[in-house]
Amino acid sequence: MSSSHAAAPSHGHGHDHPAGEHISSMGTYLTIFGLLLILTVLTFAVSYAELPGNWSIIAAIGVATVKAVLVAGWFMHLKYDTRFNVLVFLSAFWFMLVFFGFTLTDLTSRGALFQKLDNHTLHAEKGAKYGAPAVLKEGGHGSEGGHGGGH
Amino acid sequence: MSNGIENESEVAAGHAHGDHPAFLAHHFHDAPQQKSAVKFGMWLFLVQEILFFAGLFMAYFAFRALYPETWLAAHELLDKRMGAFNTVVLLTSSLTMALAVRACQLDDIKGCVRYLWITIGCAFGFMIVKYFEYSHKFHVGTLPGKFYTYEGIEGGAPELFFSVYFMMTGVHGLHVVIGIGIMLWMIMGPLRRGKVSSQYYALVENVGLYWHLVDLIWIFLFPLLYLVR
Repeated sequence: MSSSHAAAPSHGHGHDHPAGEHISSMGTYLTIFGLLLILTVLTFAVSYAELPGNWSIIAAIGVATVKAVLVAGWFMHLKYDTRFNVLVFLSAFWFMLVFFGFTLTDLTSRGALFQKLDNHTLHAEKGAKYGAPAVLKEGGHGSEGGHGGGH
Repeated sequence: MSNGIENESEVAAGHAHGDHPAFLAHHFHDAPQQKSAVKFGMWLFLVQEILFFAGLFMAYFAFRALYPETWLAAHELLDKRMGAFNTVVLLTSSLTMALAVRACQLDDIKGCVRYLWITIGCAFGFMIVKYFEYSHKFHVGTLPGKFYTYEGIEGGAPELFFSVYFMMTGVHGLHVVIGIGIMLWMIMGPLRRGKVSSQYYALVENVGLYWHLVDLIWIFLFPLLYLVR
């Protein structure tokens, strides 16, 4: 980086290249494109396989993540960008994980909580108060009395 | 977005432009500083875009967790092959967009414009396929919320799946349309007027980043909506 504020009269000096001015070869782009196509075919084929349990979604997100890394790294030039910009971009995914993590923990543990409340015969009042969706209370009493404005 | 281009009013600003390139805005020391600032701003915008879409992905996962059977049955109604075709179309457009930026780096502005036209063509292809998908859903009544009239899905709240589907693909499609508009503007404006060169192509580069992000989001939308069982 040229640090002097007395700007150079013209460009083209070795040290004067703007950040991230790496020029990838045509071959690099075509290789990445080919890999992306192969991964698309792969994820399409896997969708026909009867994967047990959660493996279907794990495989889909796994392949998508590899594709995303290829796009971000080579098409978006993140591989050649400054570390700071890499950090900025990755921070989005960190905050996304925090968001997903807490929300899903809440959603998946609330059902158990309401069953516990049911066992303590508090369900009518508490259910109304916290507005649990009917699906979360499946396996409870199956009554609709808990939600909505019935109190 | 800093366009960094000013040609009028330089006399008023108190100095001539003889000692620095026309694209360099006055509040930057030098071209590299301007370039890294412009790009940093773009990355921040993309972070915002990801977090914005994260809300929609969260809705997908939340309702999926609440209604697993519905999700399973409803996703069977989407046409995988159309989704896969659109994935290939968007990946191709991402390649040509990357090549458009590369052409700028090599000072081949004509090549850049040519690649941008191919990218725009792919974007239109994507929207046309989406049109056929949407019109089919309007026809059979697999619509969001209260407009849902289809009867053929076991499991509760099937309209929720289509609310999520239309919201996610709709907002994504809006991004594609906006991308088409920005690319057309670039071709008609700055690229035609010779404002872009291998010395200054931040505009094309940033639009490229935007376009790749639109592709990136589709890379996750496609398997989650069309493929996952």
